[in-house]
Amino acid sequence: MNIENFELIYKDSRVIIKDKPKIKLRLGEIVGNENVSDNEIDILAYNKDTTLITLNWTLEGKIAALPDFIVWPETPEQISSILKLANEEKIPVIPFSEGSGVVGGAIPIYGGIILDMKKFNKILEINDKDLTVTVEAGTNGMNLERYLNAKGYTGGHIPQSLYTSSVGGWIAHRAAGQFSSKYGKTEDMVMGMELVLPKGDVIKFKTIARASTGPQLDKLFIGNEGTLGIVTKATLKIWPYPEKRAFISYAFPTFEDSLEATRQILRQQIYPAVIRIYDADETYRHFGHIEKAKDSVMVVFVCEGIERLVDLEATITRETCEKNNGIECGEEPVEHWFETRFRVTETSSTPTFKMVADTIEIGFLWDKAAEMYHSVVEAAKNVKGVIMITAHVSHFYPNGVGFYFTFAGIPPQEKSDFQFYQEVWNTIVKAVEDAGGSFGHHHGVGINRSKWMPVEWGKAFDTLKAIKNLLDPNNILNPGKIYESPWEKGGEN
Amino acid sequence: MGEILKKYKWMGPIIDAMDRDVKRLFMKNFRMRDKNFFPEGEYKADIKNLVNCMLCPNMCRFDCGTLQAEQKETMSPAYKARIGYYLTIGKIDPSKEENKAFIDLMYKCSNEESCKIWCPFEFSVVSLLETVRDDLNDKGLMPDYCKEQIDKLKKTNTIEDHNIYETYKEKGIENIETDGNDEVYYYIGCESMKFPEVVKANIELLKKAGVRFSTNLETKVCCGGPAFNIRDLETAKDFANRNKDLIEKTGANVVVSDCPGCVVTLTSRYQKAGIEIGTKVIHIVEYIKQLIDEGKLKFEKNVSDEFSKITIHDPCLIARNLNDTTSIRAILNKIPGLEISEPMYNKDSVHCCGWSGTAHWADRSLAIKEAKNRVNELKETGSNVFLSACPLCELGLAYGLSEGDKENIKIIDIAELLIKAL
Repeated sequence: MNIENFELIYKDSRVIIKDKPKIKLRLGEIVGNENVSDNEIDILAYNKDTTLITLNWTLEGKIAALPDFIVWPETPEQISSILKLANEEKIPVIPFSEGSGVVGGAIPIYGGIILDMKKFNKILEINDKDLTVTVEAGTNGMNLERYLNAKGYTGGHIPQSLYTSSVGGWIAHRAAGQFSSKYGKTEDMVMGMELVLPKGDVIKFKTIARASTGPQLDKLFIGNEGTLGIVTKATLKIWPYPEKRAFISYAFPTFEDSLEATRQILRQQIYPAVIRIYDADETYRHFGHIEKAKDSVMVVFVCEGIERLVDLEATITRETCEKNNGIECGEEPVEHWFETRFRVTETSSTPTFKMVADTIEIGFLWDKAAEMYHSVVEAAKNVKGVIMITAHVSHFYPNGVGFYFTFAGIPPQEKSDFQFYQEVWNTIVKAVEDAGGSFGHHHGVGINRSKWMPVEWGKAFDTLKAIKNLLDPNNILNPGKIYESPWEKGGEN
Repeated sequence: MGEILKKYKWMGPIIDAMDRDVKRLFMKNFRMRDKNFFPEGEYKADIKNLVNCMLCPNMCRFDCGTLQAEQKETMSPAYKARIGYYLTIGKIDPSKEENKAFIDLMYKCSNEESCKIWCPFEFSVVSLLETVRDDLNDKGLMPDYCKEQIDKLKKTNTIEDHNIYETYKEKGIENIETDGNDEVYYYIGCESMKFPEVVKANIELLKKAGVRFSTNLETKVCCGGPAFNIRDLETAKDFANRNKDLIEKTGANVVVSDCPGCVVTLTSRYQKAGIEIGTKVIHIVEYIKQLIDEGKLKFEKNVSDEFSKITIHDPCLIARNLNDTTSIRAILNKIPGLEISEPMYNKDSVHCCGWSGTAHWADRSLAIKEAKNRVNELKETGSNVFLSACPLCELGLAYGLSEGDKENIKIIDIAELLIKAL
């Protein structure tokens, strides 16, 4: 056994499966023996998702958690049978697809069955008139977008994880992409769904532009993080591929100026597909080579769509930036962003310096957005060992924004990397909650934020838990996430 | 170090702002970076980039042929790198029989190098896996299926269980031995010998263009490509030196091969192994394009209806390693009335046929799944004739055909089409 050579991080409260050979046999009967494994080589491959602390562990020879089985179903009926078996035997089932989640949502902390959705990877239909694509949930984001582009469309959902995430993952985590000001977020894009409920029932929400047919039950499953159901198929909005793109960038003397300019742009109902404000530290980091950006706050915009509309949006965007002390920096910073936006190298380098780093995205209304930014930065800086706390603003609405904080630090000697990681997370989330913001904008809750769910939701959390209990009385579907926190003991500054 | 300092220049103010204790720890970690995570002793594995790859969020995963074929996380590029790292540092002991599956994973790559296009570090995963294979070989842990290939090379001088070049007579292939004064050495790949009609077509094309060439099948040996893949560099170099001698004996100005794998091996791989072939080596599509440009080859006839609508499957070695996506198209555009369709993944974005690298030895069913994926992509064009310019592609694609496909779909080499239009 090689697994014994690895330190296991989540080792408490693991499910005890009395008769593993029997379970394996029954899983094999459902999905075929070639689609079930308890081999070490597979078990090890599914011990984590892309939560950044797990990369430190990987380098140090630790594993986050250990599933007991991996299954690769190919039909909703097979998923249904797996869930029925899991209910009978009280075995956790953890949905998995591309493993790009960054809050621990796909980590099998209590063991159990990893249900990998990769084989649900077909793009079923494009309807040009309705502007929809119907796609299986395990489909990789980039493979979907490339397919749409080749046919003359875009899905408009372009997260930095586009290459590494799946449609099912987007829905599970209520994801948002970099072009979301124009195209919306996952909840705006999903028009219909098929999913399997925890007890094995397969349900469908019909594809419709809009309906008044009672509560929007389908929305309950967008952001359920694989705890209330497993999405197998979805119909999403698509758009004609933009005929024109305008690249615009401005440097502002202060963070407040940049926020005000973008707020006014949105208030005029101008929706550049991409808006990104980089605070002074991130401007130095990403645009240090641009003279006009020195000691400034860089904002990049991409307006796209039909030419006449793009021209109008670009004109109003420029005018509004200039009215708010913006200095035009041309197309180069935007081209630089386009060239580098998928060049993720820091995840590979920071663990080698024994640094602990992560990103935390949060939501806030405009009114106190700048204040909140400063209070989070101050709070994080006060955690011993934090060496960097920076932010960019990545998502915009007429009413508010989504901030994206990045922190890095060296754990002090008295703390493990995990204790330090939890302390920074909890400090930032607390600062956000204290300031009246929302602790998550588009990465979801997972493990990292579940401790804060009662604070975020208040009494409504009881209702959410009651729904979970109703749908999943045995708590077999992705336990340890959202409704309960394995981090209860985690440090809080 | 200079490069690192430039890359992390933005950290200057952050370091300046650190308090003393933290700064001391930070600088220590920075200095000790390699020592902390690099194994002791001698090894050949590219640890730095294995770590870069294993800690990457798998940015190339969507274009990894083996992952897309298998649809299991186990096949993901970052996981392969992780296992390579653990095998090197001994976290997973490669000498234990129970760990054979981990070793096998180091060979489950089809060398298509799509990953390199998307890699933030600009390497290909196979270039890392090869360094892990080096260490496995040094420890005497070469898998049996690789040993079998090396045995074949040593016994038959080819990658077949018999010397496939000796079959030229029964296959009706004309052999032209050199007189030491050739214009061109037509360098026929081992795998090309499985497609005698292709070899015959190429000979016909060269003759039609009035090229003075030889084939030297009596003395021909494999380029050594399989040994390079397996990383038995001793065997690979032996073949390289033999080929160098054979090529020099022809006096040819240019070596023209029908196998992109041979071209890559004779050029960049020999070079990396310290062996220089003084003669220019190119793939035959590049040469045919030259002959057309010089007016030495003309295609004036329409091809029959059966072959009038074709789909191009770019061999990944031509498109991505030799960086040539124009020759095939330039040639085909000279054929009157030919309708050319392009699959969605084409040119330098082409997906592999499954039959390159070591994957098809390590896990034949994996390679067949990859071939099926590619066949399905090609079928989407609606054309029933798949055209390529690589014997391995033609072999791999054939494995990807279903029983029903076999009745409807033809896989042809570009040479076979060209002689129909002469």
